Amino acid sequence: MRFNEKELVLLSRQPSERAAELGMRGPKKGDVVKKRLVKLVVNFLFYFRTDEEEPIGALLLEQCRVEREDSQTFSIAFLDEAERKYVFECDTEEQCAEWIDSIIKASYEFMRKNLIFYRTEIHRLTGKDPLEQYGISDEARFQVSNGRPLVARDTSSL
Amino acid sequence: MKLHEKILTHYLSCTSPVDKEGYLNKKKNRNDTYHRRWFVLKANLLFYQERPADRHLLGVIVLEGCAVQHSETDGHFTFSLVFGPGLKTYRFAAVDRQGQESWVKALHSASHCYLSMLVKDLARQYEEAKQQQSLGESHPSVSALKLPTNSFLFTTTQQTAVVREGRSFSASTLLQAPSIPAKAVAKKSPKLWTRRHAYVTPLNGPAPLYGEWPLVGFDPLEDFSTLHDYYGQEVKKAREDWLKSRQKEEDHTDQDLIDLG
Repeated sequence: MRFNEKELVLLSRQPSERAAELGMRGPKKGDVVKKRLVKLVVNFLFYFRTDEEEPIGALLLEQCRVEREDSQTFSIAFLDEAERKYVFECDTEEQCAEWIDSIIKASYEFMRKNLIFYRTEIHRLTGKDPLEQYGISDEARFQVSNGRPLVARDTSSL
Repeated sequence: MKLHEKILTHYLSCTSPVDKEGYLNKKKNRNDTYHRRWFVLKANLLFYQERPADRHLLGVIVLEGCAVQHSETDGHFTFSLVFGPGLKTYRFAAVDRQGQESWVKALHSASHCYLSMLVKDLARQYEEAKQQQSLGESHPSVSALKLPTNSFLFTTTQQTAVVREGRSFSASTLLQAPSIPAKAVAKKSPKLWTRRHAYVTPLNGPAPLYGEWPLVGFDPLEDFSTLHDYYGQEVKKAREDWLKSRQKEEDHTDQDLIDLG
């Protein structure tokens, strides 16, 4: 599958508030923990060999399950395959919690839900649709029921 | 760099909303020819394949750090995604002006950065609206609105990918939908936000008390007599109570109000 690699590599070099050296282990049997520079940019998790400019890979953080494995370790499972997880080892409990939090909130779907919530609430409180001023009221992506009812969802849809 | 494709294709095929899809002609940079492709826009990703039913994805374009530009190329409804000097420019042609406009608009608001700014802006407006509400007369359901800390209603993280130096990031200019050329007919946005929506139950707070909901399924123009009777009942009761209390008063006036012993 073709993709805009150069542009994505450039994206990986943008400043990020969530970047650190973590121990990273792949999902396959036999994968070992390796030290990687892990960086969260928009809804992608990039990982680099320390001191290399180009990332080894990019993981799209949509439709994934982020879980606490133990006090300093978290995992990300994709494709509804609960057993195939990428595991990340942090230095402290606090760092681990921060990473989990950041990854969840980085998802586009999570942000979309927030937006829909605010839009609904602002309309309820003020009678006005806040997206009108930007001319985007009728964009499909911002609609209240875009295939689903407006209720809180469990984390598996993140 | 490895882009984990299976994760992307899984995201494409899952139940999360498709923001736009349709045929577009994509220009091949090498030889100026156009190929018809089926595009699917989901979040900040633009997928393309030959036909809608195809299992095989030809490619994906990650929509971060690009500008959407439309151009008037004699008779062709073209637009492009411009990533900047030394980087790609993807060129497209839509079938008609409506297609061109709707794609340009959809792509303009597709990036994660855009959504992030929009959410922050709305979060601010929401806080202001709540404050206004509590400053004015207190509406019971609003003042009871509590935000559980583990709800999904968080403000987004501070990170914004500063994609290009020199680009101004003033929220209002960036959030504004691209202006469509004057020839286009202004489309009225669909009536999604009719008055009824003002009564949507807030997600993280209690629903308003039953008495505050409008009479469901009631059309005042057709059933005015029903409305009249409904509210009339209250008046009737008040009148009865008043008459009763008058009766009691009259009974009392037979006796002296002050007992003079």
